[in-house]
Amino acid sequence: MLLDAATLSRLTGLKLRARAVVEGVLSGLHKSPNQGQSVEFAEHKEYAPGDELRHLDWKAYGKFDKFYVKRFEHETNLRAVMVVDTSGSMGFGSAGLSKLDVGRVLAATIAHLLIRQQDAAGVALVAQGRFAEIPPRSTAGHLGSVLEALESAVPKGLTDLAMTADTLAEKLPRRSLVCVFSDFFDERQDALKRILALRSRKHDVAVFHLVDKAELEFPFDDPTLFLSMEDDRRVEVNPREIKESYLEEFHRFLESTRDACRAADCDYERVRTDEPLDEVLLRFLGRRGGKL
Amino acid sequence: MTFGQPWFLLGTLAALIPLLVHLFDRRRPREVPFAALDFVLRSQKRTASRLRLKRLLLYLLRTLLLLAVPIALAKPSFATTDLAASRRGVAATAIVLDTSLALRWTDGTRLFDVAKDEAKSALRDLAPEEPATVVICAHNPVATAPVGFERTRLMTAIDEATPGFEAADLNRCLEVAARSLDDSPLPNRRLVLVSALTQGSLRLEQPPPLGAGIKGEKLKPEFVVRDVAKGRELPNRALVDVRAEAAPQLGPRAWQFTFTVRNFAKEAARDVELLLEVDGQVVQKGFVDLAAEGTTQKMLSWRFAKGGVATVTGRLAGDALQEDDAHSLVLSVPRELTALIINGSPSPQKYKDEAFFTEAALSATGSPVRAVVRDADAAWKEKFGSYDVILLLNVEAPPAEAARALGEFVDNGGGLFISMGDRVDPDAWNQSMGGVLPRKLRVVKTAVEPNQPDATTRAARLAQVAINHPVMLPFTGRAREGLLSTRYYRYALFEGDAQGMETEVLGTMDDGAPVFLASRRGKGRLFVFASTVDRDWSDLPIRTSFLPLMQRVAGWLTGTLDEREEVRAKVGETVVLKPEANQSPAWARAGSGAEVALTVLPQGGGVTGGPLPEPGPYLVVDAKGTTLERLGFAVSIDAGASNLARHSLEALSEWLGEESVRTAGSGGPESSTPLWTWLITLAVIAFFLEGLLLRK
Repeated sequence: MLLDAATLSRLTGLKLRARAVVEGVLSGLHKSPNQGQSVEFAEHKEYAPGDELRHLDWKAYGKFDKFYVKRFEHETNLRAVMVVDTSGSMGFGSAGLSKLDVGRVLAATIAHLLIRQQDAAGVALVAQGRFAEIPPRSTAGHLGSVLEALESAVPKGLTDLAMTADTLAEKLPRRSLVCVFSDFFDERQDALKRILALRSRKHDVAVFHLVDKAELEFPFDDPTLFLSMEDDRRVEVNPREIKESYLEEFHRFLESTRDACRAADCDYERVRTDEPLDEVLLRFLGRRGGKL
Repeated sequence: MTFGQPWFLLGTLAALIPLLVHLFDRRRPREVPFAALDFVLRSQKRTASRLRLKRLLLYLLRTLLLLAVPIALAKPSFATTDLAASRRGVAATAIVLDTSLALRWTDGTRLFDVAKDEAKSALRDLAPEEPATVVICAHNPVATAPVGFERTRLMTAIDEATPGFEAADLNRCLEVAARSLDDSPLPNRRLVLVSALTQGSLRLEQPPPLGAGIKGEKLKPEFVVRDVAKGRELPNRALVDVRAEAAPQLGPRAWQFTFTVRNFAKEAARDVELLLEVDGQVVQKGFVDLAAEGTTQKMLSWRFAKGGVATVTGRLAGDALQEDDAHSLVLSVPRELTALIINGSPSPQKYKDEAFFTEAALSATGSPVRAVVRDADAAWKEKFGSYDVILLLNVEAPPAEAARALGEFVDNGGGLFISMGDRVDPDAWNQSMGGVLPRKLRVVKTAVEPNQPDATTRAARLAQVAINHPVMLPFTGRAREGLLSTRYYRYALFEGDAQGMETEVLGTMDDGAPVFLASRRGKGRLFVFASTVDRDWSDLPIRTSFLPLMQRVAGWLTGTLDEREEVRAKVGETVVLKPEANQSPAWARAGSGAEVALTVLPQGGGVTGGPLPEPGPYLVVDAKGTTLERLGFAVSIDAGASNLARHSLEALSEWLGEESVRTAGSGGPESSTPLWTWLITLAVIAFFLEGLLLRK
């Protein structure tokens, strides 16, 4: 079942929405030819009591006369942080769900999937001067805290991804998955660069670039007074006169953001607020080999 | 321009709508919170200048649209005078191309170029079955080819035509054109006149030309008039005359030039620059104010550095017709003359000295003569060849050697002046100077003793003066009266002419006795005065006429008076020149290099040549190509040709007969070209462009 924005918007409560998406994703994964391939050999570990005997490497025992067990990838504990931009611009939405709504559904869904597979998931709600964090944990009860935090997020203030990147760099002790949900309307030129710089600290960075249909298509005709959603700026224009130039500028911004992510070896997923979110996640997971 | 429905012009007020909308449009825009405001701002900044231009273009196009539609509905049309195709059907056609000076008028495009285009256009507009010819209306108008179908030759004739410098005789040209069609078997005749229609070239007091049919019947041709001025006025001003006069009061070789400037335009002009050029160099400048259709004069003077032939050109600041803004003169500036005055009766009292008055006259301010006075004994030792003129004043008969030298002096081109007095013994003079004198002396006649109480009333007076002689030319009117009232108490009488010599008597007494004798001998000249140049025998020295008389006698004796005779000629006329006996002028060469052959007139009347093709200075050369400097002359444009006042179309129509003047479309004297289709097209284009701009 594909869940489009209109359907999701009719579901009240983030928990319900996240579960709906999770179900969609899981059913999608079931169909994936990559099923089971996530269980991959990672390393050898000297046997210790309590280890499963079925994972004993008998060939290694033949060679070294010691017991080693094989460890597999899925057994490595993953720490993931869902970084959700809660600046004012994230409150914009022309198709039922705002960018913030879409961002937190996606974050909740991924958190749900991670905790379901005993990985640790946390959340950070960021805007200029704000950094509200729920640290990553893998307990089943933690999901409720994550969802509660996400649900409480209110779009307000300016975007400050650079500060977010600096804070994350300090707080994340070891290799983690950092999922960023933002429209990246940050005035600072190097904001994206500093987010992507987390990759150089061995973190796995996935960027969910949230865009609204109205931002992509600029469907305005009559003279309009555009109001800023982050500050007091306002501008009166005839949209028909600047549409061509706007679209050119905006698409150039999208392309440059995508290219920067790819250049930094980070996952990039452009998410329209009006497209089915399970499809988005399937696309994302598919690119990552069906695993997180 | 005329309007069929002028009330629709009120609709042009609608053109204000875009402006009013721009000024008073106060619609409130819709407020929309928008996340990507930065991109909106950036786009607005980027497109601002383009949008401003676009809005301006939109404004202009909308205004144009709202203007064009009501003007088109008002049915505007242009009146034209051009006439094109035939009204009567196939006709033998003669195209008359005006080459008047007026066609040189230019406002960026010379009228003659327009005229040639019009003539060629008229030729092209003819139907293939219409025979045609072209008459270039120049000094001697002739049809360039018989009436026929060979268009190429006619086109070439039009291409090769050049504008003239005088007012063409269009009446005569139309006659020639009408006659050139007489051989055509076609009953219909058409005359196409391509002209600026100036009053000086076309005289409406003469009847319009008629053609003749094959049987001799009179045929009234159809007239097609192509006005190359397109109905415009042709304002013009011209330097119609420059007069040169010697100005001795300003110094030797000083001349005064009087410019006559005529403004033919209906607007006055202020501070119009005048230039005086001598041999191509600007030497003086002046400014004149010209009243509308008025004439004014301005004097400029110049003192020449040396004598000789000089080309003087007056030049007016250029206007649309530059050819008549210059006026040239070829001037003979008298060279400095040296005179030897041989004083036969010197006296320490100046007023009793024989040479006193003569020397004073010849040395007066502005006189070209430099006089040296010697008594007789000293004079005979002088080298006569170093002087231009020798004056023997009451001198005793020269010794034989001196007499022979004087004869040679005259033969070699010198001038000899002889005056009488009590030292002159007729017999001794006849014996000594008999071979030199034009007439031998007979006796001295006393009319009355000067000291007699009634001497003033009984004194002899001149009865006749040959005023056509160069020496006597200034003595007209009151000057002549002054000369005639001179009293002579005593004077010499002469025999008849010496053998082989021709003597002109320039003045005779009331008893018929000659007083002034002028004669030529060899290359030189002699002048004999029958009385004295002091007050002994006459009161001539104290007369106002004495000074000019002596200066002109000296000038004539040295040939410089002849040089001062200015030859004036106009374009299209012939010129008559008086060469010296040893000169054989063959050509007169204009500034452009055009040459006019000179032919000898019978009975020593000089040489003549013409018609003179262009204005400006002309050089005269002989058959060997040698320039005869003193024969140079200047040619000017007739002032009438500069008057570019034009005939009105109504007057022209009346002259040609309304039914004969064909106009395009209507057949009346004027036709109209509708403009509404163009305006509607313009409106549609504006509408289309406005839509295009809005879509972008």
